[in-house]
Parts: sequence; C-alpha cells; structure tokens
Amino acid sequence: MNAIDSLRDMITRNMRQSGIMVAFVAIVAFFAILNPNFLSPTNLTNIVLQYSYILILAIGMLMIIVAGHIDLSVGSVVALTGAVSAVLVIRNGMPWWVGVLAAIAVGLLVGAWQGFWVAYVGIPGFIVTLAGMLLFRGLTYLVLNNASLSPFGGNYYDVANGFLNGLLGGYGVDVFTLVIFGIAVVGYGVSQWRTRRGKIAYQQTVESLPLFVVKLVIVAAVVMWFGYQLASSRGLPLVLIILAALVIIYGLVTQRSVFGRHVYAVGGNRHAAELSGVKVKKVYFWIFVNMGFLASVAGVVYSSRMNGAQPSAGNMFELDAIAACFIGGASTTGGVGRVGGAMIGGLIMAVMSNGMQLMGVPQSMQQVVKGLVLLLAVAFDIWNKRRASVVR
Amino acid sequence: MTPGRTPLLALRQISKNFGAVEALVGVDLDVHAHEVVALVGDNGAGKSTLAKVIAGVLQPDSGLIEMDGAPVTLPSASAANRLGVASVFQDLALCENLDVTANVFLGREMYNRAGLLQEGQMETETRALLRDLTVRVPSIRTPLRHLSGGQRQAVAIARTVIGNPRIVVLDEPTAALSVAHTAEVLTHIERLRGMGLGVILISHNLNDVRAVADRVEVLRHGRNNGSFRGDASHEEILAAITGAGSPSL
Repeated sequence: MNAIDSLRDMITRNMRQSGIMVAFVAIVAFFAILNPNFLSPTNLTNIVLQYSYILILAIGMLMIIVAGHIDLSVGSVVALTGAVSAVLVIRNGMPWWVGVLAAIAVGLLVGAWQGFWVAYVGIPGFIVTLAGMLLFRGLTYLVLNNASLSPFGGNYYDVANGFLNGLLGGYGVDVFTLVIFGIAVVGYGVSQWRTRRGKIAYQQTVESLPLFVVKLVIVAAVVMWFGYQLASSRGLPLVLIILAALVIIYGLVTQRSVFGRHVYAVGGNRHAAELSGVKVKKVYFWIFVNMGFLASVAGVVYSSRMNGAQPSAGNMFELDAIAACFIGGASTTGGVGRVGGAMIGGLIMAVMSNGMQLMGVPQSMQQVVKGLVLLLAVAFDIWNKRRASVVR
Repeated sequence: MTPGRTPLLALRQISKNFGAVEALVGVDLDVHAHEVVALVGDNGAGKSTLAKVIAGVLQPDSGLIEMDGAPVTLPSASAANRLGVASVFQDLALCENLDVTANVFLGREMYNRAGLLQEGQMETETRALLRDLTVRVPSIRTPLRHLSGGQRQAVAIARTVIGNPRIVVLDEPTAALSVAHTAEVLTHIERLRGMGLGVILISHNLNDVRAVADRVEVLRHGRNNGSFRGDASHEEILAAITGAGSPSL
C-alpha cells in the first residue's frame, strides 16, 4: 500500500474521528489568527486549568454513554463532594488529604447508590440521575447550610492551582516540564511502534512506513511545542498530570480490558451480551460507581480551583461533559465512542469558550455558538452513519 | 438410532407449560456425536422451546436431561455452556458495534495477568477457526455492521465453537438468508459435524434439513410425531408435520 492510498484509507475509515481532529485544528487555527494571545503560554496554561474538571467528567460520561445510559447528576455530585471536603478541611480544620479521601468516598457511595437503582431495580439511568441531580444538589445545600465556604489554601489549593516548576532548573523555561513531555513523547512513539510491530506480526494491514513516521513526528512536534509553552509559563500544572494519568488508565480500561469490552458489548446489543455470558447488571453498576469516583475527583479539582465550596458549584457541568462525548463521536444509541474522542470533544468546547472570551464575545452568544456546534456534530455523525449504510 | 452407543445428549419425557399452554409434552430426543439432528415442525410446535431448554434458557417443568448417560440440570445459559452446549438463536446474539474477533470471544475473552485483553492471540484463534469453518469475512477486525447477513450468521456459528462445545444448537440459522448464503451456512454445519460435534438444527425449510441432517425429528403440538432418516422423502416428513394420516392427533 503506498502512502497516498494508505492516507486515503485512513481518512475514510476513521471519517468520524479524523473529522473531529480536523475540526479541532481548524478551530484552534481560527482563534490563533484572530487573537495572537490565544496560543500564548499563559493562555494555554489557563485552558488546561479551566477545563480539566470537564475533561475528567467526560471520561466517566463516555463510558456511561457507550453503555447506553446518561448521567445528569454529575454537576450536583461535583458540588456535593467539594462541599463535604470543604466542611472537613475548612470548617473542621482537618488535613487536606482527609478532605480528598472523604470526597472520593462520597463519590463512590453516590455512584453505588445510582448504580444500584439502574442495575438491580432496572430504572433507566436518565431517570435515576435526574432524581440524583435534585437529590445531591439538595444535600449540598444541607451540608453547606446554604452558605459558601472558603478558603482551602495550602496543599488542597495546590491540587488545581499548583505547578511543578524549577525541579531541574532552567532559565525561564522549566527543564523538568520539558523532560516529562520528552518522556511522554518517547513513550508514545515506542508504544505506537510496538503496536505496529504486533500488527505486522499478526498480518494486519498497517499504514505505510513514511506515513507512520510523519504521523509520529507531527504528534511529537505538537506535544513538545505545547510542553515548551507550558514550560515557559508556570511549569507543569499538577492537574495536567492527574488528567494525563486518568486518560492513559481509562484508555487502557476501555480499549484493552475485559470490562471495557463488555461496556461496549452491552451498549451495542444488551440482549446479545447477556446471552454471551456478559454480566450486564454488574457492568451497569460499576460504570455508575466509576462515574461517581470521577465526579469526586472533578469535585476536588473544582473546589480546589475555586478555593472553596459553593452550594451552586458545578451547575450544568453534566451538559458540558455530555456535549464533549457527543462532539467527540459517541453515538446516541450507545456502543460507539472513545475516551480520546471525548477528550477532543471537550477540548473543542474548551477552546471555543476560551477563544470567544478572549475576543470579548458576550456570554449569550457563546451559548448560541456552543449549542449549534453540538447540533452540527451529532448531525454529522448521523449523516456519516447513513452514508456508511448506503455503502454496505 | 445408533444402538449400543450412549447418546451425547438425551432428553426424556420433557414437558413445559406456559400457563395453560402446553408447549412441550413428554418429548424425547437423542443426539450423538458426529450427528446432525434436525428438529422440524409447524409454527408453535415447540421447536424453539425445546431449543431453549437445551440451551439452559428455559427450565422444563418435568423430565430428565442426560449428558453421556448422566443426569444433568441446565439452570442457566452459562451452566449449559460449561457442560458443552453452545447455541445460536434466531435473533442473532451478536454485537454489531464490535468486530468479528470481539464477537467470537464475547463473554470468554482471553486476558493476561494484568487483566488486559490478548488481542493478538484471540485474532490468531479467530483466523484459524474461520479457516476451519471455511468462513470468509473481509477482515477479522471488521465491525459486524459491515457484514452481510450470511457472514454474520457464519460468525455466530463460529463463536459457538470457541468454548470447545460438544453440542451446538442452531435455531433457524438460514431463516433470513439468500440462497447462496444458505448454502454457505449449510457447509458450516457439515464442518461442525466433521469436527465431531452433535448438532441440533431447527428449521422450517425441509430442503435445508434434508441436505444436511442425519436424522429428522418431527414435533407436533409439543409432542414427538415421528423420526425419519435424513434421506426420507419430503412427503413423509411433511405428513408428520401437518399430522396428515397420523394417528397421534
């Protein structure tokens, strides 16, 4: 297969995924041209800090959507977990890690509660989490006595606002950040190379070598450039490390683990999965527990970023997370979608919000634009599917 | 049919009621290794109910199930699976969003100590399996939604063989297929017999049945209504199905 054929094959085969990549690059380019500050080190750092919690939520939401459900309660869970943590740390003066652990414990409990109703009582996730949205918002008000709590300060504040900087020195450009990004790039290259070797060993088709190398070089260049921008600003944000770890772990869980395979199977054809011996109820239960966990992580990050807990925190986060999944290629009927796609979908939302803010677009207009983008992304998905079925 | 040999699977006096409806009344059935037994009958004769009893999906109200001469119970599909019974139901139990390999191994994935899927190994086995059954698909990584009806049926049959079963139950495998794809599926069934399995084939189509079956068992109103050799005439079998000239009802 020569390079051109290979390229065309890759594009048509992954139309949905590559379409979203192209859209992402186009949106970034659009804002970069309109506003020179958009790609500045400070602003890139800001984007990471501002939207990390949406991306964390989108990981769990993706798994729920793939399994054929939806979770409307995550915004309330973000608020509740942050509130519990704030009460312990701020009001009762406990150490920061007690707050973090308590928040995660609450998240797991909430997840188990919702998972129980969905999996073992058989109520659709939409209803259970709609109830949860009210329930956990109400509990947040109770926990906080209708008042905000702040500030966390100290180590807790650093979770979302801290940077690793100057560990290895450097003049204006943090060497440590660059080293970490270098390791990430090399790791990515090695794993891609090994996957390719494996595919060849099992006689699968792979893209031609020049195309493969070009792809690697482009990815490496973009990642290193991004790392350099961060390094010349404030260094490596702690949140980015948390996010990267979650993306890698959940990438493995969804694509390479038995559990992940079963999530896709249940979303594709619940009946078939059941007959094949997949424990459907267990899958439903655990995806909601997992969502509770990730919502609590997002709750910690968000309360840390806000340096306090408010009763109305996390309002509408669920919609941002759901939109990220659908823009990133998840199917409304379940069974289709990837963590990577949801991350790009979330980044598209993030870049648009941030870009429009820099340009001074009013909030009302931002909402209009984001709504249209969501609609167009799903319309493209449906059109693409129809086209594929005509080809067959 | 083959005296002196213990049947692989023997059903004795199986009865099953759904409320007041008698779906099965005292049904007997023997299946041996290297044998294709066709189960025929009119709509509502109890074929699919019997298949579901064998697959462990339904439990009989009374009667005895023996494997290799020893009584067994089949309380669930996975229990039947463990005892070596694999089934393909009328409504294809496949996930259209997953690829061929993932479907073949669904519910029995191979994984390493870290809990990660062993894709390479599963692919190798899938490829060998499809070769044994002479199934042709574009690629073992093709999602099922891109395959034709016949190819999907072939994948469904292939996935039954993964757990090293001894009995395969096929419920109307050719119902929705074109002539060419039907011929392919019949070839797959002969391959299963060649591998030494006992095959229970449920079908409406007497032509298909007579093409591959070693023995034809007729059900009528939930009761046994005749047993024929695979080369029995169309008319003989049809008479038993419709009850024409039959003393039983």
